[in-house]
Amino acid sequence: MSNALFAGVDVGSLSTDVVLIDSAGATRAEVVFPTGINGAEAAQKAYDLALEQGGISRDQIKAVIATGYGRAAVAFASGKTTEISCHGVGAHHLFPDTGTVIDIGGQDSKVIQVDGRGRMLDFSMNDKCAAGTGRFLEVMAAQLEMNLNELSDPRHVSGESVQISSTCTVFAESEVISLLAKHTPREQIINGLQRSIVNRIWSMVISIGIQGEITITGGVAKNKGLVTVLEEKLGMHLNVPDNPQTVGALGAAHIAQRGFKDE
Amino acid sequence: MIPNRSEYLKQQALQGQKIMGVLPALYPKELLWAFDILPAEIWDPPGDIVKANRHLQTTICPIVKQSLEFILTEPGIVNAGYLFPHTCDSLQNLGSQVKDMIGVPVPVYTFYNPKGNFNKATRAYYGDILNEFLQVLADVHGPPDIEKLRAACELGLKIDGRRIELQQARMTDRLSLNSQQYFQLIRAAEFMQPVDYLYLLNQVEIQDEPLKSHAIRFLISGILPPNDMTLSFLDDLGIGIVAEDLLAGSRRIPIATLDPPADPIEYLTDRFFLLPPCSTKAGSLDHRQQYLKKLASDSKAQAVLFNIVKFCEPELFDHRSLVKSLKNEGLPVLSLETELLPGLSGQTQTRIEAIVEMMGDEVLA
Repeated sequence: MSNALFAGVDVGSLSTDVVLIDSAGATRAEVVFPTGINGAEAAQKAYDLALEQGGISRDQIKAVIATGYGRAAVAFASGKTTEISCHGVGAHHLFPDTGTVIDIGGQDSKVIQVDGRGRMLDFSMNDKCAAGTGRFLEVMAAQLEMNLNELSDPRHVSGESVQISSTCTVFAESEVISLLAKHTPREQIINGLQRSIVNRIWSMVISIGIQGEITITGGVAKNKGLVTVLEEKLGMHLNVPDNPQTVGALGAAHIAQRGFKDE
Repeated sequence: MIPNRSEYLKQQALQGQKIMGVLPALYPKELLWAFDILPAEIWDPPGDIVKANRHLQTTICPIVKQSLEFILTEPGIVNAGYLFPHTCDSLQNLGSQVKDMIGVPVPVYTFYNPKGNFNKATRAYYGDILNEFLQVLADVHGPPDIEKLRAACELGLKIDGRRIELQQARMTDRLSLNSQQYFQLIRAAEFMQPVDYLYLLNQVEIQDEPLKSHAIRFLISGILPPNDMTLSFLDDLGIGIVAEDLLAGSRRIPIATLDPPADPIEYLTDRFFLLPPCSTKAGSLDHRQQYLKKLASDSKAQAVLFNIVKFCEPELFDHRSLVKSLKNEGLPVLSLETELLPGLSGQTQTRIEAIVEMMGDEVLA
């Protein structure tokens, strides 16, 4: 048992993430790989890279849990779990006092309530529209001719802001075009965009409520400007993992470990 | 076992049957049966919406769009008119639009159900509109035969009675039908001849002893059940829908037994006021909350699934409060949104699987 290792594979819309942990729960390898058009292939490649990175042989892995929208395509997985459960468990592992998880991914966003073991108690999910997701930021960054790192600069959210639609990416994009045509300073537009996403997240937060500490996960958690605005709106500090993108895969690896112990 | 709606209605039309195209949901079928008219609800099966979009805003619900698409592309089934009950403002407006602006070669009828909290005056009003509708039909199809109307009510009473038995059997695990089969059976009431439908209901075997219970027991609420793929997916996950509060289902069946009809109009009035609470009747929300809690308790449901039709105003007005109230009772709630399309999206699968995980199974096979 002491040499046993466990894997979590999160096949997301933009990246496929793999985390390998040992029986003590320590991370032994972590890989982020572009998903592309073939989730199954991406999962296999990312898994192979993780094994190589950790110097681990395949037979050391005792259980693999697949998660993310492409979880059904991971043929080598021993089970599958939704990314909602996995983000809850992953966030709890990193920040044990987490009671609420805000996960903002590439194509959807979720607010998850968890118990003292990281198990999901309730969730709210925005999966019908790109507003309030990473995709929204990508579209806007392209329109503003910036990269995502530049867009995320927290200095942009400290000054004046403009109002931008939080209900539709397409409407918001045309609003941005109009604002640019009127020579509105880019900082004000970026500030408005960050607040627009936060308003969308806020509506999910109030639908299920907040408990305990809040941990933010998913690739968008790297956006420092957004985290600043969200903290301001919530009136609370947010726990931000070092690698927010791989929290789902980390949670999946821990679920694999729990299942193995239970057997 | 259950006939295909389109094929069944085509056969009926070929045999010279008078068929009225009806919009959902609460209307006096018995009056139509008494005039040998078969009411056929035209909101199913779903198909591509092409022509209807020219007449409707994008924020109109897919039931209205689907129904109008049927009317605009009608395949020669409806020959006795269209009936628009006042289920919601969108359907009422569609009735006006079809009658006054689009135009159809058959009569267009409306039936304005009472709304709000019911009292003596509402009851008198309902009796009046039944009599008025009877007269409207008589003007076209000849004088009503009261004995025939009484017989139609008796047939309706038998159907209601059997539906209640089947609902009870479903709640106590004594039906061997899966969710897909069960809802196909329930929705066959929307288009079948009452005699054929009663025969079909009587063919369903109710077991003396409970069968193996479902791993997870769900109560479903909303306008109509999820599509077949979603129902199969729920079945595969071990989720059994043991009770339903659907406008296409139990909201059309009285909650108490009625006496055999001496006066048909009195009987139909009694029947209407014994129907379960429903968002389309705009009654007390508190009454609806209590009703759903009792239904969950009686059926031992462990969770509630709301199947919400996109842009369905009556349901969406109640939804938020109902969810809060049920969660306060400790019942997990899953809300799905439907546009009446076939198929099962990855997002919907994730929502369903997540609630299963929340209720116990962290890892799915």
